Amino acid sequence: MHYVVFVKQVPDTSVVKLDPVTNTLDRSSAPSIINPYDSHAVEEAVRLKNKYGGKVTVISMGPPMAVDVIKKCIELGADDGVLISDRAFAGSDTLATSYALTQALRKVSEKEPVDVIFAGKQAIDGDTAQVGPGVARRLSMPVLAQVIHVESFSAEKKVIRVHRKIEDGVEIVESKLPVLITVEKEINDLTYAPLPNMIKAAKYKPLIWSVNDIEVDRDQLGLKGSPTVVGKIFAPPKQSGGQKVTGTADEVVKTVMDKLVNVHGLFTGGGVS
Amino acid sequence: MSQPLKKVNVDDLQYLTRFVSDKESHLHIKDHNICKTKCEEKHCTVFCPAQVYKWEGERMFVGFEGCHECGSCRIGCPHDNIEWKYPKGGLGVVFRLA
Amino acid sequence: MAEKFDVIVVGAGPAGSAAAHTLAKAGLNVIMFERGEYPGSKNVMGGVIYRHQLQEIVPDFLESAPLERPIVQQNFWMMDEKSVFQMGYKGLEWAEAPHNNFTVLRAKFDQWFAGKAVEQGALLINETVVTEAIVEDGKVIGVRTDRPNGDVYADVVILADGVNSLLAKQLGFHKELKPSEVALAVMQVINLPAEKIEDRFNLEPNQGATIELFGDSTKGLLGTSFIYTNKESISIGVGTLLSGLMENRMKPYELLETLKQHPVVRKLIQGGEPKEYLAHLIPEGGYHSIPKLVDHGVMVVGDAAQLVNGIHREGSNLAMASGRMAAETVIMAKQVNDFSANILDAYRTNLMNSFVGQDLKKYKDAAHTLDRNPVYFKEYIPMMNRAASEMFTVDGVSKWDKQKKVMGMVQEKGTISTIRDLYRAWKVMK
Repeated sequence: MHYVVFVKQVPDTSVVKLDPVTNTLDRSSAPSIINPYDSHAVEEAVRLKNKYGGKVTVISMGPPMAVDVIKKCIELGADDGVLISDRAFAGSDTLATSYALTQALRKVSEKEPVDVIFAGKQAIDGDTAQVGPGVARRLSMPVLAQVIHVESFSAEKKVIRVHRKIEDGVEIVESKLPVLITVEKEINDLTYAPLPNMIKAAKYKPLIWSVNDIEVDRDQLGLKGSPTVVGKIFAPPKQSGGQKVTGTADEVVKTVMDKLVNVHGLFTGGGVS
Repeated sequence: MSQPLKKVNVDDLQYLTRFVSDKESHLHIKDHNICKTKCEEKHCTVFCPAQVYKWEGERMFVGFEGCHECGSCRIGCPHDNIEWKYPKGGLGVVFRLA
Repeated sequence: MAEKFDVIVVGAGPAGSAAAHTLAKAGLNVIMFERGEYPGSKNVMGGVIYRHQLQEIVPDFLESAPLERPIVQQNFWMMDEKSVFQMGYKGLEWAEAPHNNFTVLRAKFDQWFAGKAVEQGALLINETVVTEAIVEDGKVIGVRTDRPNGDVYADVVILADGVNSLLAKQLGFHKELKPSEVALAVMQVINLPAEKIEDRFNLEPNQGATIELFGDSTKGLLGTSFIYTNKESISIGVGTLLSGLMENRMKPYELLETLKQHPVVRKLIQGGEPKEYLAHLIPEGGYHSIPKLVDHGVMVVGDAAQLVNGIHREGSNLAMASGRMAAETVIMAKQVNDFSANILDAYRTNLMNSFVGQDLKKYKDAAHTLDRNPVYFKEYIPMMNRAASEMFTVDGVSKWDKQKKVMGMVQEKGTISTIRDLYRAWKVMK
């Protein structure tokens, strides 16, 4: 089995500040991290590998410093990683990015055909959730998006059955391989990586492919290949301040429970609104 | 004599600092009974720079999530009643500046 | 099978990175552990790093180190409640390379310094806590981390795990620290535009100033406060002995808030935006608190070895020098392939003969003298302020009479006891 995971380096939006004047992200204020959804995608691929055998390869696109996210994936248990990095990719929107990643994946699968592709549900910087499905479309592969559980997997029959999170419940779907799966965070808890993985990651030098290393039509890359126009960026409206409950632990619990039960109708079927 | 110290809300200070909390506490009161019966002063509730320790009448509350991992409580507890270790790798306080 | 290295360095602060850099440069196989998300993420200091010791390790550091401002002005303020007696030195020669010292922000600096060690070939493992030293036949042979399959082995383990050094304690190198051996320091980083900083501190762009404050800034507790200029922020903090905070039932952040609102300090930081609040311990025991530094297969460096000169608020330079010296000893031990305490003891000898040991010895009684005699902070600094006020106030009283009045203040306290106290202070501080 060969599992490929797409990962992205993103600014940590839990730390990042929005410039109040220009409404753009002040990226300098935030550390770069692996997109949190993607780390769960890697974890799930590694779990399948540990159970059914095979190999996990991660692919990322980004500036040279994005090798750090590939090293992070090695910590999590991935076997190999490739970074595609070139000025020609700069400015790519989701269409161009899915094209570049597809071409990189094609090269990776020349050596060893790919059975399952994993990706995070979306990246926390763009929130588009388009790149994973975009790759699947280009490969004419089924997509199972927002997966929260892998129920069964058969390497012989090449079938996977998963639970998908949908609007008002859970959908249980089965698909033939190869398939592309995008994951929610609740699909697993990240394992605290064993020390040998940490040492391997610290020593690891990922492959870096430039635009010349993969077969591409340059017109479909970068700004040229990106039809997306950013119309306007604005800060979300400030949340109105909640009520701060103070006192001892007992008092706080009592106040909150009173409010939930008496004001919001908890336990009476009214639900918390 | 000198003026009393200026009051400040420690929550407003703590808000400036980044913490990535573990689910489990890295700070443990060895024997809650000692805090209750043997420790009049409860120094830790005063000197802890993050006000991690709060006496709630009956029991010592330990808000480990806001701990700066300085070690003062371990050293300053007159009854050696605090089991102190570092949070799991990568967790706990994350200083971004000085 | 767990991997074996030449050397394990525990902690990627200035001491650890200095050791790892020196070792890796000499071709040794080094692994360095950092428990934080990145080096510096658990580390705090007012922010002065010294050129000399850094340059011995990274000669071209000026090209890439994330330095805030070279310091051209060092001030000492003796504070009373509504006044301050100021001393200082401004040397514009320090504005030029090679400079004397710099302010830095540790989260940036420590990452850079550890990165330099990695460039030399050291392996940096972040987010991993070393929980114990593995001892076999009375010899340290490796460490255990908090990760699965977390053991790793080496010929030598260098403990650079900071002031709390739980590992040195585990090995029995020191007993638990006492509240009178550590200062609890709290600080804030306050953002302020560069031009404001330069105007308020009388600086050109790319010049920095430090102020060490004594007396009312710690409300008479033994300790100091500091105000340092960074590029676009000011670090302000208070550090006092933990024992003093306990005896006086003081909250460290209230001391800091009081300092921030002090009438002679307030204007320096006015309008600034607090960006971070940090707390940390500083080893203050000095010479008398230095633990056992060497045993079979193990050495202790930096804050873990309590190497801080409290009188001159130096620590990072002692840390770097000790890390380098420990590494040099290991390089020598590697040549004879003998890592016994006997051979590694050269580190202790070298350290004690260097400025590190000499300075700590020189001031070995300073903190104790001051701690046992709170009059220095509680009475003499206010006296100094009253005397200055008396001499400088032009009110028609002759200078002769003013001198008499100042001497009167001394006599009030008792001439003999004042002279004795001042002599004692001079003796320990000189």
